[in-house]
Amino acid sequence: MIDLLDYIIESVATQNPLHGKKLRKNSKKRDDAFKKRAADFLLKYEILLKNEGKTIDYSINCYLQMLADVNFESVQFMQTGEYSSKSFEEVRKRVYNNPEVMDYYMHGLLLSQFLWPHHYDILLYFNSILSNNIINIKKYLEVGGGHGLYISEAINIIKEDAQYDLVDISSISLGIAKRMIRYDKVNYVHSDIFEYYPDKKYDFITMGEVMEHVEDPVKLLRKLYTLVEDNGKVFITTPTNAPAIDHIYLFKNAKDIRSVILESGFKIEDESCIYSEDLPAEIAEEYKMSMMYTGLLTK
Amino acid sequence: MEKEKILETLTKIFRNILDDDSIQLVTETTANDIEGWDSLTHIQLVVAIERHFKIRFTSKEIQSWGNIGNLLDCVHTKIS
Repeated sequence: MIDLLDYIIESVATQNPLHGKKLRKNSKKRDDAFKKRAADFLLKYEILLKNEGKTIDYSINCYLQMLADVNFESVQFMQTGEYSSKSFEEVRKRVYNNPEVMDYYMHGLLLSQFLWPHHYDILLYFNSILSNNIINIKKYLEVGGGHGLYISEAINIIKEDAQYDLVDISSISLGIAKRMIRYDKVNYVHSDIFEYYPDKKYDFITMGEVMEHVEDPVKLLRKLYTLVEDNGKVFITTPTNAPAIDHIYLFKNAKDIRSVILESGFKIEDESCIYSEDLPAEIAEEYKMSMMYTGLLTK
Repeated sequence: MEKEKILETLTKIFRNILDDDSIQLVTETTANDIEGWDSLTHIQLVVAIERHFKIRFTSKEIQSWGNIGNLLDCVHTKIS
């Protein structure tokens, strides 16, 4: 029987041979631990699709559509040196409040978690950071939970000892997260984070790939500063040079990101820079290849 | 511009971007025939082709070329 991940890769390769070439190359580097994780995740995901009357082929089409957007935005980025979206309101209309776009975007991103090596590497890094900081996490918040993969990971690590809140600006994204997480103790909040005023502070906040979606990332981190306990921690990820339909704020390098973090008042306890392409860092930076910055922040 | 001339120009662009003077494009050429042509260099190729011919491709077009013949037709239509 053909492995589901192999089926996805071959199906993508048939429809987009160039991208297929890259996926096949990446696939050869995978170890058994990755294969098991991917298989468990895809099994869970297939059930979600089945409950919606869909198959994995639907998801593959979503992925290809997302890829078309990324490629188009990448070409524009190389031509202009800027992201195409300039304001949050523009993106809200174009993406977050557009069910058709959000649906293919979320399903596409879900598949990318196990098709793009740097997405998987970051998930592992998150896992290790959280495992090392598990003591004292009673109140956990995720901002911009997307498809729910990270909070699912957190629930697996922290277990039932904590309260989990998930805040997302998109009701469509929250709907997908609810169906993926399937854990009834998560409190889902449909809100702009700037309008979220809970009656508690959090021990741990995760905010994956949100800073590039706002006009003022310093203001965003300052908001998180008000939400985290004095001895709490914040895990963030954000990419450099990553054109996408909903990215607004362009970080050109890790220095830009560190400067925003420090300006907001946070300190950096730990950090990691993971490039999207398997190239030496200096070449990747010279050619404006995307890099994912991950940081563990404290007050 | 005639298709032969466009193909000649595309060959020059591919050679330059992929740094491989042995590349000789024909309409049947696919990504499997050229080692350095992958999803990453594809973006650089698209940018170079757009700049050279002063055209813009749509997101669908960028994804749709199965071989050089498809790319050639697309460029030809846009500049005709």
